[in-house]
Amino acid sequence: MEKYSIMEIIKTNALIKDYSLGKVKVRALSGIELSIDSGEFVAIMGPSGSGKSTLMHIIGCLDSPTEGEYYLDGDLVSELPKKALADIRNRKIGFVFQSFNLLPHLNILKNVELPLMYSGISTRQRRDKARYILDSVGLSDRLKHKPNELSGGQRQRVAIARAIVNDPFILLADEPTGNLDTQAGGDILEIFAQLHKAGHTVIMVTHDPKVAERADRIIQIQDGLIANGHLA
Amino acid sequence: MAISLSESLYIGISDILTRKLRSLITILGIVLGVMCIMVVLAIISGMNASTMEWMNERGGVNKIQIWRNWDYDFRQGGSATLSLSELNQLRQQIPEAVAINPSVAINDAKLQYRGFSYRGAVLGVFPDMQIVENWYPQQGRFVSEIDLRENSNVIVLGSSVARDLFKGQNPMGRRIMVQGQILEVIGIMDSKNWENPGGGPWSGNMLEYMNQQCFVPLSTMMHKLKAGSEISSLQVTAKNPEDALNLQNKINMLLLRIKNGRAVFRVSSAQEMMQQMKQNSLIFTTIFIMIGAISLFVGGIVIMNIMLASIKERTREIGVRLAIGAHRMDIFVQFMVQTVLITALGGILGIILGYLILDLVSGYLQMPMLAEPRMILVALLVSVGVGLIFGITPAIKASNLDPVVALREE
Repeated sequence: MEKYSIMEIIKTNALIKDYSLGKVKVRALSGIELSIDSGEFVAIMGPSGSGKSTLMHIIGCLDSPTEGEYYLDGDLVSELPKKALADIRNRKIGFVFQSFNLLPHLNILKNVELPLMYSGISTRQRRDKARYILDSVGLSDRLKHKPNELSGGQRQRVAIARAIVNDPFILLADEPTGNLDTQAGGDILEIFAQLHKAGHTVIMVTHDPKVAERADRIIQIQDGLIANGHLA
Repeated sequence: MAISLSESLYIGISDILTRKLRSLITILGIVLGVMCIMVVLAIISGMNASTMEWMNERGGVNKIQIWRNWDYDFRQGGSATLSLSELNQLRQQIPEAVAINPSVAINDAKLQYRGFSYRGAVLGVFPDMQIVENWYPQQGRFVSEIDLRENSNVIVLGSSVARDLFKGQNPMGRRIMVQGQILEVIGIMDSKNWENPGGGPWSGNMLEYMNQQCFVPLSTMMHKLKAGSEISSLQVTAKNPEDALNLQNKINMLLLRIKNGRAVFRVSSAQEMMQQMKQNSLIFTTIFIMIGAISLFVGGIVIMNIMLASIKERTREIGVRLAIGAHRMDIFVQFMVQTVLITALGGILGIILGYLILDLVSGYLQMPMLAEPRMILVALLVSVGVGLIFGITPAIKASNLDPVVALREE
């Protein structure tokens, strides 16, 4: 497939992000140089306040950098207007959050269908696809359940299903095991490992070294800079 | 690519169903506003319809009446009567009139048939009275031109007179004594009946007095029954409602000229009365429409507030939707559609409630109320309009949320 032929899927040059808290200007990222290849499994680690969440938001096209360039799949997305970012988030990125972020009043099938709905895919097609994906994460018997009827581990599996349903280029996970017990967390990490094996690019933000160990590469962020370069 | 409207409708409907109680409370203001406006419109059109009915029963909307002007101070001279020559003078100058009926009345005439007697009004009239009053005999015939020319001793009875004086016998062709004259019964008028729809103290047949009247040729009245009398009232029918107002003014001027500038007569028209009635109901209408409008405005504000609160509560959901690819437009439309759906629902409930209330009230007050289908459309449009106006602010607020900030919201 075309997307795997381009090796470098994420590339940033001197990424800077400033926030203004009242009159004080805070620099969250101060020149991030990052390169992630297609099919990699990367963990981003760092203490809180290090800028890893900010980096994650920019990689996920939820936010734009103040300065610097960000190429996603060869496109300079840091220059794109916010309007265009919605489509990129929809088609190229899949998010998994620490607190699952499922919509509580929708059943899990509808939750998984959401990204497909915003892509303009027909009701029938998206239902079929969402069923298929939920089946692959082992939840085919819970389609009509509401998120609060599921365990934490099951909810996170729904969230993963939602993240991959639209075949994104990269899977972005922000502390995906942070709200789970060891057992459920292990299951989730296993799913990520399988997705990686199947060819997905997985980027996971975590502060837990045990979790980070599962990745091929760990990127340490400190004070808005990459601290470790290219440790495996 | 923003999602389709049907998709937004689906989201909107399921949102409303998820929060049933809140949705119900939200729409109360709209329900009451729409209901209020609808009930008022129905009452007004009902009133207009019964006014028209009354007008038709009393000779239609083209009628002009001339009678004594009670505001005139008769100590200054003049009398509120017309001689036959004055009548002719007037008649010649209003050829556009469709019908003219001068009358002289004996209000408390004694009618006798064999041993029985009846007290009622006897009017000397023209054959044109039938046109002017839109009132015809049910039996026999009315006063004719020949009767008028020959001062015939004939009389046409009101239906109550016929019933009460003849006790079940057929009065046709019988001779009765009126004011010392023997008159032959040539006809019986149709029975007039009109019940005031408001009921209450004005219930019963308001036109019964007409059934107690009898009619003789004007000439017979002026020469035999009430010799030496003059015409005390006049009714004229115009060609159409527009002409009625012009003719009214013209007659007023002519009468002033005939009476040397003395305003001894008052000239009024059905048109004038109707305009007066409309004027009166306008105040009523305005007040209630304003109450409805205020209620809709307050309802709109309430909806706006609840939507704002709902958006605050659903910030995280909006963040999630944005993160997985919703455009700002999708979010805007989602909340806009939801607001409009809620207000439209309010409108529909208002219409239903309005109908129920109309049903209840019109049965209780015996008041005619017309709920026209047109009103449903108006009510629906108004409630959708309220949704559009008051939905914009919350929808803009929702669509302007920063996904990063929204996702952080607890």
